[in-house]
Amino acid sequence: MINKTGLVFFPAFDWSISDIHPEREERLLYTRDQIFEEGVLDLPEIVEYSPRVATPHDISRVHFCVPNVDDQVLAAHRIAAGAAMRLSDRIINKEITNGFAIVRPPGHHAMRVVHGNRGFCSINNEAVVIEHLRRTYGIKKIAIVDTDVHHGDGTQDIYYHDPDVLFISFHQDGRTLYPGTGFTDELGGPTAYGSTINIPLPPGVTDKSLHYVVDNLILPVLQDFQPEFIINSAGQDNHYTDPLGSMLITAQGYAQLTEKLRPNLAVLEGGYAIETALPYVNLAILLALAGKDYSNVTEPDYQPGKNVENSKVTEYVCRMVDSLQTTWRKSKEITIDQLCGSNKYYQRPKNIFYDTEYFEEKQLEKVRTCFDCPGYVIIDSHAIQPKLGRCRVLAISIHNRCCKKCIAEAWDAYQEAKKDYRYSYVYLQDKTEDTFITFRREDQSEWLTEG
Amino acid sequence: MYIGIDVGGTSTDAVLLSNGRVQATAKVYNTPNNLLSDLVQALDTLMKGVTADEIERVVLSTTVITNLIAERKNDPVGLLLMPGPGCKLQLYKKPNVHLLSGTIDYKGREITPVVEEEIIAAIDDFDSKGIDKVAIVGKFSPRNNRHELQVADIVTKLKPNWQVEMGHRDGGKLNFPRRVATTLFTCATKEKYQSFVYSVQQALRQRHINAQVFILKADGGTMPLESSIQSPVETIFSGPAASTLGAQALTPAGETSLVIDIGGTTTDLALILSGQPLLSSKGVMLDDQFTQVRALAVKSVPVGGDSIVEAVGKELIIYSERMGKPYCLGGPLPTPTDALNVMGLTKLGDIDKSWAAMEVLSQQTQRSPVEVARNIIDLFVDTVVTEIENMYLEWEQEPAYRIWEVMQSRKMRTKNVVGVGGGAMGFVPQIAIKIGGIPIISPYATAANAIGAAVAKPTMQVTLRADTEQKVYSIEEYGYQGKIEATPFGRDQALNLAKKWLLDRAAAIDIGDQIQEIEVTRQDVFNIVRDMQTTGRIYDVCVQTVRGIQWHVDAGGRLI
Ligand SMILES: [Zn+2]
Ligand SMILES: [Zn+2]
Repeated sequence: MINKTGLVFFPAFDWSISDIHPEREERLLYTRDQIFEEGVLDLPEIVEYSPRVATPHDISRVHFCVPNVDDQVLAAHRIAAGAAMRLSDRIINKEITNGFAIVRPPGHHAMRVVHGNRGFCSINNEAVVIEHLRRTYGIKKIAIVDTDVHHGDGTQDIYYHDPDVLFISFHQDGRTLYPGTGFTDELGGPTAYGSTINIPLPPGVTDKSLHYVVDNLILPVLQDFQPEFIINSAGQDNHYTDPLGSMLITAQGYAQLTEKLRPNLAVLEGGYAIETALPYVNLAILLALAGKDYSNVTEPDYQPGKNVENSKVTEYVCRMVDSLQTTWRKSKEITIDQLCGSNKYYQRPKNIFYDTEYFEEKQLEKVRTCFDCPGYVIIDSHAIQPKLGRCRVLAISIHNRCCKKCIAEAWDAYQEAKKDYRYSYVYLQDKTEDTFITFRREDQSEWLTEG
Repeated sequence: MYIGIDVGGTSTDAVLLSNGRVQATAKVYNTPNNLLSDLVQALDTLMKGVTADEIERVVLSTTVITNLIAERKNDPVGLLLMPGPGCKLQLYKKPNVHLLSGTIDYKGREITPVVEEEIIAAIDDFDSKGIDKVAIVGKFSPRNNRHELQVADIVTKLKPNWQVEMGHRDGGKLNFPRRVATTLFTCATKEKYQSFVYSVQQALRQRHINAQVFILKADGGTMPLESSIQSPVETIFSGPAASTLGAQALTPAGETSLVIDIGGTTTDLALILSGQPLLSSKGVMLDDQFTQVRALAVKSVPVGGDSIVEAVGKELIIYSERMGKPYCLGGPLPTPTDALNVMGLTKLGDIDKSWAAMEVLSQQTQRSPVEVARNIIDLFVDTVVTEIENMYLEWEQEPAYRIWEVMQSRKMRTKNVVGVGGGAMGFVPQIAIKIGGIPIISPYATAANAIGAAVAKPTMQVTLRADTEQKVYSIEEYGYQGKIEATPFGRDQALNLAKKWLLDRAAAIDIGDQIQEIEVTRQDVFNIVRDMQTTGRIYDVCVQTVRGIQWHVDAGGRLI
């Protein structure tokens, strides 16, 4: 088979959050210009596809949208997720070896429960692809490497208790940047301990230290995990010109990163230096995926030696890589017993801030600490949405590898919650059956979507 | 009355139309290097009993340029390229190519200037090789042509007699490699194309025809013969466009049809959606390079009536080559045309010879001649049907960059299956049955090309991009770049400016009276934001004359 790279370019030129919002329609305009002008779409190695449209069911495999999918998800979101799904299909069908979904809006801040827009994201494009791949093709082990300057907190949230999905994120330290999470001690829940790896980097990291992290941590961890499919959450806001981040990565640095990761699928996330970074970074990544020479793709103002890394930054990164290597090695020996003792559930409270509409969600997340399976997750979520007002919901998610006992328990929990007057909505997501049920207290109605 | 003339590789076909009826047709087999006499002969056949002043319009379609390039008879050209940073393409590793300094970005801002010494060195090199035609192309020159103009200036100063072409004039769309190819081919064919135009003008003058003369473009539009001299590559592949328009003319207005043009070596597929031929999203490919020439979406299947059929073991195989005429017309080998003759679907040439051809295959495959003929036709039909299905899928896969484009479903299959070309009568009904459509074959199916040329309307398009932050605008089709004068400059001003350009240009080439309606095909606005402030807007506007054909010929007459 010839090595081909698929591209879905979906800039949603007719959609934006607001006129001057950083995530706006101009974001991919210059990327389009650069890619068109370079003529890369005429290369035999690159195939362009149209996006498909993710269905409410595709989205319900991942998210509990409150109250419903249609209340939270616009056509633009469905197409961005659908674009990534289309490429994943072509990759599995071996029409292409890898693909790049240059889409907007982005998705990696969208968590499992969706009350609104977070960090410009409403639904998690990568997670929609992952659930699609598992359900449709039976793929078991998947890795996501998040290379956005912001912590991929949404993706982490969705897969925190999933041992089959490895989530690795490097990002600017949460003490200095939105969303303020992604520290080295966030390593996954008790049934999935060690399947989340966070690498918080100090501001001012250049290509040099980044590649030190890639070579000494990310690649060995991937090698160890042996995923069947690798997704790159490809945020371009680590670029040295990005207005939101404080990193010093170049287009060449990104392209080399892509070459080393060899992701099956890259999905565009952030990147807000729309003139100085995106046209060049996106082009370089596309060429790297296609195995073409990208060495000539440079930013107009770039000069070798332009970005100098502070020696303290270099040392800090080295030390952190060291300690994370140790953590990673040790994580394999740590058992559920050690983490939870005899507790039936592992639970953690969470506060989630929706920065686009300024409101907070309070959550209590519980995982059944089963020894036979990854367990099921129950989320008790409570928010005051601007549109909906106060709303408390209970959401239950059954992992696709859940044991019979856990499935029965989860269904019981669902039936119980239906009787509980505190919940306006109760949701059940049964991945073993690919069923998604919504119960609405107001009129006692219940409806179901199936694949 | 309208005249359509299709100057093909082997013959010149012509048709005379009057009020939507075919008055006369002519077919003249070409004599080498004597286009003038072929044209005059065709005109004389058409115009029996018709006076020259009754002719209102003449439209030609031609493969002259396509053939020049295919046979590599075009003139050598020196390339001066300013590729800047970006992809490294194989294209640049050729002799007669000089890479120059000078960089412009996507907004048209200069990043690095041109260097005069490099240009002078390149000119000396071309001079020593006897090259006197130069194509100058810079990356993002449609956004800012300054570098191209500077280089051209230096070349012209040193070599006033050289032919110089610039990328922003010959290919205003963003796509540097395609623009390079388009400019190169323009440069390489201009001189020879001029002599073609001269022959046509001579022939018409000899027969005292003073009508407006147009040439068909690959996108199914027409341009005045006179102004086509500036852009001869626009005339490439007008053959498939002519046959598609012809098919459109032979079907009722506004309908959706699949067009199957079965020729000797290839079968061309095209789509007409609600009365509009579908345009291809890719530029025409020439000599293995994409150009910026817009074309109708035509898919070529490499089998035709004259393809050769052979037995390999007991299997029958249709090869994509053509070794000459079908066996029934004195050719060397059995062909699908012979199979049609044996099945009684056509009566072409010597039917006994067709039987003899099947007989040979029959012995090799141990099947009866009729079975062999049946198998060949099935094979042919299956090949075409598979490609039709692929074409639909490709069409559904066309990229879409806006939400509304994605949300409108594209899945559809056509009912009308319009057959044109020599093999249409034999094959198209069977293809139609297989895909569940209704076959439509006009008695003029074999003259569809010339009819298509005759009915083609002049069409024009103007694509405007205005950047209010930089206060500049450009017109893609004409390589024009100018300052935005109007304040305020908003959506309406952008649209009006584009329309004004369209009307001015139409008037300049004397077709202003033929433009009744202007269609807006794209209208995008982008806010340019810096530091959370809107500092300007980019307007991306495309307007065109309503595409279409002058007449529907004989449309009521559905056959079969
Ligand atoms: Zn980000
Ligand atoms: Zn269990």
